[in-house]
Amino acid sequence: MDYKLKYNEETIALAVETAGDGRLSATLGDKKMDVAFERISENRMRLVVDGRQTLAFVAETSDGKIVMVDGRTFLLADERATGTRPRSGAASGPKLVTPPMPAVVTQILVAQGQTVEKGQGLLVVSAMKMDTILTAPFAGVVTRINVAEGEKVAPKQVLVDIEPSAADAAGEEAHNG
Amino acid sequence: MFKKILIANRGEIAVRIVRTCQEMGIATVAVYSDADRQALHALSADEAVPIGPAEPSQSYLSIDRIVSAVKQTGAEAVHPGYGFLAENADFAARCEQEGIVFIGPPAEVIRSLGDKITARQIMQKSGVPIIPGMLEAAHDPAAWVARAEAIGFPLLIKASAGGGGKGMRIVLAPADLAEACRAASREAAAAFGDGTVYLEKFLPKSRHVEIQILADRKGHTIHLFERECSIQRRHQKIIEETPSPALTPALRAAMGRAAVAAARAAGYVNAGTVEFILDPEGRFYFLEVNTRLQVEHPITEMITGLDLVRHQIEIAAGRPLALTQEDVSRRGHAIECRIYAEDPEQNFMPSPGRIAFFQEPTGPGIRNDCGVYAGFEVPVEYDPILSKLVVHAETRELAIRRMIRALKSYAVLGVKTPIDFLLDVLASAPFQAGETYTDFIATHFADWAPERQALELAAVAYLADAMAPKARPAGRAAQAAHPGPWHTLKHWRL
Repeated sequence: MDYKLKYNEETIALAVETAGDGRLSATLGDKKMDVAFERISENRMRLVVDGRQTLAFVAETSDGKIVMVDGRTFLLADERATGTRPRSGAASGPKLVTPPMPAVVTQILVAQGQTVEKGQGLLVVSAMKMDTILTAPFAGVVTRINVAEGEKVAPKQVLVDIEPSAADAAGEEAHNG
Repeated sequence: MFKKILIANRGEIAVRIVRTCQEMGIATVAVYSDADRQALHALSADEAVPIGPAEPSQSYLSIDRIVSAVKQTGAEAVHPGYGFLAENADFAARCEQEGIVFIGPPAEVIRSLGDKITARQIMQKSGVPIIPGMLEAAHDPAAWVARAEAIGFPLLIKASAGGGGKGMRIVLAPADLAEACRAASREAAAAFGDGTVYLEKFLPKSRHVEIQILADRKGHTIHLFERECSIQRRHQKIIEETPSPALTPALRAAMGRAAVAAARAAGYVNAGTVEFILDPEGRFYFLEVNTRLQVEHPITEMITGLDLVRHQIEIAAGRPLALTQEDVSRRGHAIECRIYAEDPEQNFMPSPGRIAFFQEPTGPGIRNDCGVYAGFEVPVEYDPILSKLVVHAETRELAIRRMIRALKSYAVLGVKTPIDFLLDVLASAPFQAGETYTDFIATHFADWAPERQALELAAVAYLADAMAPKARPAGRAAQAAHPGPWHTLKHWRL
């Protein structure tokens, strides 16, 4: 069986054979690994890879599976599960006004109906004593402010809607074409 | 001795203070905000009092609410920890008025040392070396230019009321001075309500070395050696160690004497830290006094075998210091790594969230002062520190190896941490050679990316986890899978 795991922007392709007896062999490129594995608990796996024993820690999250081995932590996701979703970041990400981490809105710097320049500060969010200014991804008019000061917000949540100005929208289309 | 102490703080430091109180037979009161109802510190004390909303100004920073929690529970003393109200002279003064013992220095000492210009004046008068620069406030550009010429460039603008890097600017050339002063002053006014700034010489290649002091109410003052805290990001320390790889015995003795002189000059009482900048030629200059228990105090505890919180409480209770300078000795080497909920790949951006899995390192010479647990939701409202991992070993080299082993076995899944980053710093040649200057991260780790060697193994672990069936413990089914003695023995009769 073939697996494609995503790690940041790259794909790790593995060909896997298993007899369902707690053993598997995985091929990555020209490297083949024989693995014996056993679940110790929900978050702990014992692995014996080519004779060397390792304890791995795993935890499921909404973005994939966090795996820690040899003191190193990775977020991995099955590409089949994530493949149909739009790639976060590349296309949609920078166009939305959304906080980079869970945070509290401390200050709103613009009003509905206001015309804003690209890069203009829209609101300030604070997480763990650190302030971050969220800026307009393009020039346009603020059509809606979806949050109030003091409100808790999370990544992917759109805090301010902006209608791009005509010039900016045209430029964007040219860029996409 | 006190019968009951209220701890006006949260997280790992509140938990750490509770532990010493328990050993001393003193009852403890924790306070918690709405965000911390299930925080470890609130669960650790004998009593826990809600003090308001998550917003710090309405809970942990609210003097009225803390004082009323003290009255309500009948505590005799307050330990402020670090941060929040720990260096707030108004809070210490209020405690004094209300007949509550503040475990720290007198309010007036906090006030004068909290103002950096005043602190520089005190130190200069008592012969403690200070960084060349201004000893009085100046508010107009003409005065700044005149003083800057005397000091020379590069120079540093600092906020007199400042801390944590706010209101601080490095100025390389005279043309940038006026605008930088105005910007620093605005930032300081916004952060501290006081826009006073002053200028001092900027020492680019330097180390941050601080001396721990203890002083009792009779003025008996000793030092407990140094801590080197040069590895910093955003002017905040992330790795500290003692002894400093840069100090000779003669320099250590000289800095210790200077710190004791500084404490005496300020009329200092209780535990405190005198911070110095050390240049590559071995010249040291007074930076500031931290009038509280320091975050990194555990490394001093490891090498001296002393419990600093116990000494703080005894001094606050009026007991004389039982130690003389000659009684204090040190042994081995200790290192602390601060484990924050933050993402070293994203410029150390905070990373709050739920901790899905948590396993602390254990073993010889390892201590983890921790304020979280698996399942805890790390709040966005507060400082992102999760724990402080501390090791103690015979030599610096062995302490580094011990820290690497401890970090490798520290599993924090669900929030980002700098554990990977810290591993690479400790394993790096410049750190191992003791070339630890305050520009260390910018110089050696500006373009850091996580080590990938274990990625293939992680992919294999992913597959194994996907293939191994998970037990689904659900109520009675789980009980049947792990029958306890009360189930298996129920048909027994004696």
